[in-house]
Amino acid sequence: MRTRIGARAGAAIAIALPLALTGCSAFGVGGDDGDGATLTFQSLAFQDTTIAATQDIVDAWNDEHPDTQVELVQGSWDNVHDQLVTQFQGGTAPDIIHDESADIMGFAKQGYLADLSPYLSDEVTGAVSDDVWQAVTAQDGSVVAAPTLLQSYVVFANTGALADAGVEVPAGETLNWDDFQTMAKELTGDGTYGVGWGMKQPTAAVMNLALGFDGTFFTGEGEDTQIEVGENELAVPERIHTMAYEDQSLDPVSLTQSGSDVLPGFFDGKYALYVAGNYVAQQLVESAPEGFDWAVLPPLAGTAGAVQAANPQTMSVAAESDHVEEAAEFIDFFMQPEHQAALAEGDWLIPASSEARAQVAEDTAGENGWEAILASGDGLSAAPFQAAVNYPQWKDQYATPALQQYLADEISLDELKTQLVDGWSELGL
Amino acid sequence: MTTSTSGSKPGRNPFARPLQYLALLAYMCFLAFPLLFLLSTAFKTSRELRSPDAGVLPESLNWQNFTDAIEKADLFTAAGNSLLVAVTTTVIVTAVALPAAYALVRFRTRLRGLATGWILLSQVFPFILIIIPLFLLLKNIGLVNTLLGLVLVYAVWALPFSLWMLQGYVAAIPVELEEAGAVDGASRMRTLGRIVLPLLAPGLVATSLFTFINSWNEFFFALVLIQDPDMQTLPLALARFVGSEGQVQLGQLAAAALLACIPSLGFFMLIQKRLTAGLLSGAVKG
Amino acid sequence: MTTIARPLDERPTRPRRKPRLSGGGRDAWPLVLPALLPVMLFSVYPLVYGVLLGFTDAHAGLGVETHFNGIDNYVELAGNGLFWTSFKIGLIWAFSVTILQFLASLGLALLLNLDLRLRWLARTLALVPWAMPPVIIAIMWQLMLNPNYGPVNRALGALGLPGDVNWLGESSIALPVVIVVGVWAGMPQTTITLLAGLQSVPAELNEAAAIDGASTWRRFWHVTLPALRPIITAITTLDLIWNFNSFALVFVLTAGGPGGTTMLPSLFAYNEAFRYGNFGYAAAMGNVMVVLIGVFLFFYLRGQMRRRLQ
Repeated sequence: MRTRIGARAGAAIAIALPLALTGCSAFGVGGDDGDGATLTFQSLAFQDTTIAATQDIVDAWNDEHPDTQVELVQGSWDNVHDQLVTQFQGGTAPDIIHDESADIMGFAKQGYLADLSPYLSDEVTGAVSDDVWQAVTAQDGSVVAAPTLLQSYVVFANTGALADAGVEVPAGETLNWDDFQTMAKELTGDGTYGVGWGMKQPTAAVMNLALGFDGTFFTGEGEDTQIEVGENELAVPERIHTMAYEDQSLDPVSLTQSGSDVLPGFFDGKYALYVAGNYVAQQLVESAPEGFDWAVLPPLAGTAGAVQAANPQTMSVAAESDHVEEAAEFIDFFMQPEHQAALAEGDWLIPASSEARAQVAEDTAGENGWEAILASGDGLSAAPFQAAVNYPQWKDQYATPALQQYLADEISLDELKTQLVDGWSELGL
Repeated sequence: MTTSTSGSKPGRNPFARPLQYLALLAYMCFLAFPLLFLLSTAFKTSRELRSPDAGVLPESLNWQNFTDAIEKADLFTAAGNSLLVAVTTTVIVTAVALPAAYALVRFRTRLRGLATGWILLSQVFPFILIIIPLFLLLKNIGLVNTLLGLVLVYAVWALPFSLWMLQGYVAAIPVELEEAGAVDGASRMRTLGRIVLPLLAPGLVATSLFTFINSWNEFFFALVLIQDPDMQTLPLALARFVGSEGQVQLGQLAAAALLACIPSLGFFMLIQKRLTAGLLSGAVKG
Repeated sequence: MTTIARPLDERPTRPRRKPRLSGGGRDAWPLVLPALLPVMLFSVYPLVYGVLLGFTDAHAGLGVETHFNGIDNYVELAGNGLFWTSFKIGLIWAFSVTILQFLASLGLALLLNLDLRLRWLARTLALVPWAMPPVIIAIMWQLMLNPNYGPVNRALGALGLPGDVNWLGESSIALPVVIVVGVWAGMPQTTITLLAGLQSVPAELNEAAAIDGASTWRRFWHVTLPALRPIITAITTLDLIWNFNSFALVFVLTAGGPGGTTMLPSLFAYNEAFRYGNFGYAAAMGNVMVVLIGVFLFFYLRGQMRRRLQ
């Protein structure tokens, strides 16, 4: 009988061990503490300045609301979509969710996001333009997020290199695409290119800038959304292609890299101009070599003016949260102009709230390119692609590969058009 | 090793030896260069990394990258999590697999065929088939987003392979030794403890090392099951670091990567000889 | 302890020979059960569930119900061009990596089996990639292949060759480059296994052949290789399965880009499930992968068996 006893003891230990461990909080099991609500807020802030600003806002809230504490959790833009799919499915989503409008509409349709409209104060609602609110309103009219900061694509210039080449820094309200192309050619020299542009993920930039040529891509709403790819939609990729392969004023290798991969080339003087999201200004301030002078050029204008798509960052509440009301109140608090201004200054982004925008203009006095950055914010308007539910999948599976191939000079403009249109009809489930 | 297989007898072909050394050198470069490069990058300042004419070796031992990486990527928390998960998994798997492997080899039972079948089958299925139900299962018992959930998953998926390896080691121990023990009147437990266990020790070390390293390295399950940054394991933390800051901070990235392989590299160096021998018996006799 | 043990040993009727070693299944159960239970719960059950999930319309959404939908998923999958492209990429990847890995590892194993100096160092180095998590291998090679600062481009530039290739960013070369990284990462297991096999080839066979005057090459071809065949079959089969299902390395290295040229089927199915929330459809992809790989393995292993019997 000994073997049996021994074996049974062994078996008991083997089975009991994991159970015993269940009680151990080191494994992340359990650990719910006390009364009062604790809200989790998954923030995607990634620049040190913005992380600090976010922490300050959360601390201020926690001081004022001892019963409703907010706990900050760090997420990452890189995998926010996959992570949210998993979290919603697993019932472990944070109460307060930071994302961007083009990414969340699918979640809204799946019923994962709470309607915020009953909870937001009039000041917060009134400070943001209707156009931007539209970008976060679901088909059934519920407001699934509060829009916080907006990004636009801007042209950074190495003013030293411009001076050496005898090219003037453009003044004016806007910078016409034709002038931009001419300028790039003038700045192209031996071993250097006029422009470096990290286009590893080209879709967002193309969709946003296309609005400057009235390139809307989509019509209709919800299930009936139709795609339209014409001259207007293709104007931006076509121009970039021309610059890279005909004018040779844009480094084609940079098109295969990410924005941050290209940045060092801009610092080294390999490129005189560098196109990127305006948030990169923070990195320029932080890590530009000494004696490197830069400026933000006026916003790029196409045939329809200096218009870009408004794809605001968003703050949403999980529908399954136990504390929807409290979470929405926190978002209202987060949306206060002084808070938005602090965040915007940290990330060099444009606040959706007009009051916060005024505050930023005052705080920064327009220095360090802020004037041009804020100016580009005036041209941000809603674009149909944000409301298209299948947009994220179309972007990943069709638009991004097709644009990458076109920008690598592997397919023609016609093939690009076909792939974009056919891809959408493939998804028309 | 005088009985080498292709044993080129001296004088047969005067070029054979030099060519063999050349080939070995080429292999060593291919295998070692990336690691050496990682090492040198980890010590370079960002200025050195960017300058077009920097040397292969760093100008000085610059530990800044290591401290920065530890702080920014929160490596200590992640390494702690990884260690906890890997050690617990290893302990559980060894405790469970050892008696099972012994029983499967020593008792004639239909279980053995079943077990071998499962061991092979479990290798063929893509993880995508398992992960969704596993995720739902863990969600139902409240273990999604916990290290314990991860331990359970790792243990279960490490079990088949450990069983397989251990069976090989058990089979290698002559039954006669145990019988001799029994003849001497020693109890079964005693025989096991005094005779079998010591003989199994190298095999146990190899098997548990294998389990440890597999859990330490695992990425896919962690990616899906862990979302809370406080719970993330080292591979997860590093993959996320690449996505955010690592793009610009190449030195820090290299430093972080290097730190993350120290435990397993250290283990491998220590028991390099024994591991080779252990795998031999596992692979050949299993 | 001994007091309990005594009655067992004093049982006179029990034959001495094989007293418990063939004790039958009943004695084995308690020892095997602790291993069996968790395996049943956490791997057999999910696997069966996963296979069944491939016949449902399960998708993400709050409170959505799941229904069996027969073969709808497979009908849709048959027309999904992207999936088949990805499947083809998966096959190219798995076969290239397995074959190259095998050739490279065989060469290394043969060298390690010789009485060369520095063999210990080479043997340790051969194990290094194994000790590194795939995520780190991916990060390391990203640094190596960085278009601006990577040593690969620097070396090419120094040799006067074009030094600004974005190895992982250009769709025509990304897959071959990723394959090279895959070979690097997977060499240890294959090398060690083959080395083990080489060392178990009876030396007498080679010596006999040498006495007969067979050249090194002929001896390798006619003595060593046939003796290794079972091990070669086993390791290439395992490698092929592992490579076809591999995820982490390519996920971190390229995430399937550029232009989807390195989108392995496991990545594709992951995206379908965890980006677009179509769990049932993703499981169906998994089923298709298992069936097709299973069919291939069946024929490969049967072929190898027959060859051995001949």
